[in-house]
Amino acid sequence: MNNFDNRKFVIGFLFILIGVVFIFRLAYMQLIDDQWKDRAAQISENKIITYPARGIVYDRNRKLLIKNQVFYDLLVIPRKVKEIDSFALSNLLGIDIEDYTERMLDAKAYSTRKASIFEKQISPADYEKIGSELYKFPGFIEQERTLRAYPSHVGAHLLGYMNEVNDKDIDKDSYYKSGDYIGRSGIEKQYEQILRGQRGVKYILQDAIGRYTGSYEDGDYDTTAIPGKNIQLGIDLDLQTYGEKLMKNKRGSIVAIEPSTGEILCMISAPSFDPNLLVGRDLGKNYLKLSKDSLKPLLNRAAISSYPPGSTFKLLMSLIALEEGVITERSSFPCTKSLVGCHNHPTALNISDAIKMSCNPYFYYLVKRIIHQGKSSNPFEDAAIGLDILKNHTASFGIGSNLETDIIGMQKGIVPGRVYYDKWYGKNRWMFSTIYSISIGQGEVLVNPIEMANIAAIMANKGYYYHPHFIKSINNNAIPVIFKTKNHTDIKPKHYEKVVEGMARVVNEPGGTARRARMDSVVVCGKTGTAQNPHGEDHSIFIAFAPQDNPQIAISVYIENAGFGGTWAAPIASLMIEQYLNKTISAKSERKEQRILDANLLYVE
Amino acid sequence: MRSKNNIIGDIDWVLVLIYMILVSFGLSNIYSSVFDPDHPLLFDLDKEYGKQVMWIGISIFLGFSALLVDGSFIKKNAYWIYGATVLLLVLVLLTKPINGARSWFGFGSFGIQPSEFAKVGISLALAKFISEMGVNVSEFKSKLKIAAILGLPCALVLLQPDAGTFIVFVSFVLVLYREGLSGNVILFGIIAIIVAVITLLVADSSFFFPFTKIKMTGKFGIFIFISLMAGLFSILVKNYVVPRNRKQLYRAIIGGFIVSIVFVNFVEVGYSSILQKHQKERIDLLLGKIVDPNGKGYNINRSKAAIGSAGFFGVGYKESKLANAHQNHVPMHSTDFIFCTWSEERGFLGSSILILIYLTLLIKIISIAERQRSKFTRIYGYSVAGIFFFHVMINIGMAIGLAPVIGIPLPFFSYGGSSMMSFSILLFILIKLDAERKIVLK
Repeated sequence: MNNFDNRKFVIGFLFILIGVVFIFRLAYMQLIDDQWKDRAAQISENKIITYPARGIVYDRNRKLLIKNQVFYDLLVIPRKVKEIDSFALSNLLGIDIEDYTERMLDAKAYSTRKASIFEKQISPADYEKIGSELYKFPGFIEQERTLRAYPSHVGAHLLGYMNEVNDKDIDKDSYYKSGDYIGRSGIEKQYEQILRGQRGVKYILQDAIGRYTGSYEDGDYDTTAIPGKNIQLGIDLDLQTYGEKLMKNKRGSIVAIEPSTGEILCMISAPSFDPNLLVGRDLGKNYLKLSKDSLKPLLNRAAISSYPPGSTFKLLMSLIALEEGVITERSSFPCTKSLVGCHNHPTALNISDAIKMSCNPYFYYLVKRIIHQGKSSNPFEDAAIGLDILKNHTASFGIGSNLETDIIGMQKGIVPGRVYYDKWYGKNRWMFSTIYSISIGQGEVLVNPIEMANIAAIMANKGYYYHPHFIKSINNNAIPVIFKTKNHTDIKPKHYEKVVEGMARVVNEPGGTARRARMDSVVVCGKTGTAQNPHGEDHSIFIAFAPQDNPQIAISVYIENAGFGGTWAAPIASLMIEQYLNKTISAKSERKEQRILDANLLYVE
Repeated sequence: MRSKNNIIGDIDWVLVLIYMILVSFGLSNIYSSVFDPDHPLLFDLDKEYGKQVMWIGISIFLGFSALLVDGSFIKKNAYWIYGATVLLLVLVLLTKPINGARSWFGFGSFGIQPSEFAKVGISLALAKFISEMGVNVSEFKSKLKIAAILGLPCALVLLQPDAGTFIVFVSFVLVLYREGLSGNVILFGIIAIIVAVITLLVADSSFFFPFTKIKMTGKFGIFIFISLMAGLFSILVKNYVVPRNRKQLYRAIIGGFIVSIVFVNFVEVGYSSILQKHQKERIDLLLGKIVDPNGKGYNINRSKAAIGSAGFFGVGYKESKLANAHQNHVPMHSTDFIFCTWSEERGFLGSSILILIYLTLLIKIISIAERQRSKFTRIYGYSVAGIFFFHVMINIGMAIGLAPVIGIPLPFFSYGGSSMMSFSILLFILIKLDAERKIVLK
């Protein structure tokens, strides 16, 4: 043959060498190196989160307050986008062409084969026009997603809104994953845990373009989503809507409570806004606009403000004086205008007169008797003891201390005590003459509108209250026991009789301070207040309940910088009461209503 | 002189058995790879497995037909067969391009790839030419003629263009080596490949000349290195070589220096300016210069993930999570990346067994070639071994990330009629020639 026979070994060796190299390479890839297992799982498996429907929120009459609504995300698969009119699409979506280009690049950077979100949360109204044009833009597809909707367009402050979770939320509760939505305020925040339900997880196999091709391990690791619970609030939607209408062009708040349960019937903060503004793709834009508004519509004035209670505070002072025995129902004090200003009125002959006419000097004398009871020979120490007695009594009305509510961000009121004034003036440096302005609800006393409505409820109940709350039922089940428990004030019920009689006369007798709150059909009991404040015109205040027998609604109305309590707050309260009790406004009240609707009480500094 | 019974009796049944094993493994693998629950029948001609059954049937028919043809007839007509396949390669250039290449004769939904059959033609022609009396591979004139036999089809497939088949044609170097081509040529080739790889690695980069702030390109760095080596060799020759041998060595050093510079320049320019973008990317991916698992490196990343995730026993037959039509993560999973399906489903065990079967096939072919008295059959046998070897090496090497992504079929595994038929014919001609080994004198 030839001399090259040995070369068969070289060639054979080469074959074996390559075979051995391949087997070693396979051993390394398949048996030692784990990265390809992870990579394969990353490519072929996916975790699909199934989101449960969020709980629906109803009002006391099972009218819808918050529902779920289908919005649309616009997705893009860059590989399939070919020769489309990008200008037309940007116009359709209302975005800049630069923005379009940038989003397209982002989508391509994520994946050219898989769909990524191009425009989020397009509202059904916007989508009507986009959806019908979508066929012109191959590569763009829609995807439904559920967001919240507020069909009645009211109750922005109490219902709250939702937005995407941030890192802090995720740290706090590992349930949340990036991209989830969370209740940010109001009911949405307070009842987040109940409304959100429990999301489910499905592990799936997917193909190269992310399509479902089968379940992973026959679904052994999957969990099903548990829908959120529906809840019912004590809110009366019609009353809430009517209140917001009345409060147009005014600043302030209305809080109404059902005295027999403590359920909040309405909570209005004005100025307000449409809660639907904080849903969908314009959330950020709208939020910014609202937060820059000089009238600060985002503030929930009903919850976070505390105002001087003005003359409404006289109700509490009367009760405390009676309880302490420093006066009787028949005590009379002269209207000495040199001590503290008052208007012209006949002398108050008893406690009921004093309340009806809201006589300031009367209450100067009355509160002086509470403060200086002669419990110490040192007049300074005596004042301190007396003030603490007063403060403890007010605390039993739920002011400044122990209201347990489900209202997000509620600010407690302040009734100053010994500690407060010792710090301010120094120990033994103050007595009644120093702090007398609290007797007419001015000075350092501050009360929150909800606490104020609760005072009206206590008056209606003659001595007890339930913690004011929104929740009425959860999935038709019971609510926390704290909201079902009666709280008694430390004033004996009998003392309420004369005070409530005075409240009835405030509204219904000539010479009462709130004649504008009078109604033919129902006896309204109320008390006006006019709070001086450093921001301009006095705040107009009115608290009331009705009907006098078997009260069904207790209400507090604050109109900032609107003047005398009887002029604005009282008629608004009466219209609210009429709406709630009669479900309609009588022809006779229409003039009153029109006057309120026409009034623009926005105080401009 | 000949007896039919005798011939059948001399057929190497072991080789036929290996063939049958590979074909049946291949078919079962394609069935799993492109399985469609709507067409569960293996013989469904709508699916690739149904068509493959048909191709296998045709291939076995052609293979056994080859057994009936006289060996001397094949030998006599080797040039004609070569000529016919080359003619087909010319004709295919007149067709309309499919996916940018003129590689196919289309017949309805079927296609024939003449470059597959060219392998048969070249093998026969090469065997005939070298086995002719008086041809010495190391002679320059012979080399020129061999280069012509190989060069013509090479040029024609490059015109298609079909780089994969061209690379397979390089396998004939193995045959030439066996028949006496200088080992230095092979060595030179290997060195050239190493130099080329280094050149490609540094082609796009630049660096600062040590201890200076002079910035220079990678290519220039290699030039400096080559110059230093040349200088070093010269000094060595001057000091340690007897004067009468020096002149020859100096000439070699100068020649080597010039050739190296030209070669590096050629590779660099070819890479930077002549190669198309996607070809450049494939080289960069293999060399690890770019890592882009979801873009340019998509195919190879998916392929490695499918193979690497299999473990020892694999994920099980038809349980593949990446390399099948249902999941579709690995592209071309029924053709170029068919090894992924096998390896993912059968794991390291199955993959190793398959490689060992291929190795057995190759060694068996060499041993058959070596037992021939006929030089023609030996050369032909080595051609077949070389072709199979290159296909297996490049296809599996590509799937496991050791070779660049070049689309060539895995023998008997990849879906495709042309490759199935040409591999079968290649093998059965060898079986036929081998069966006649005892009655052939030359």
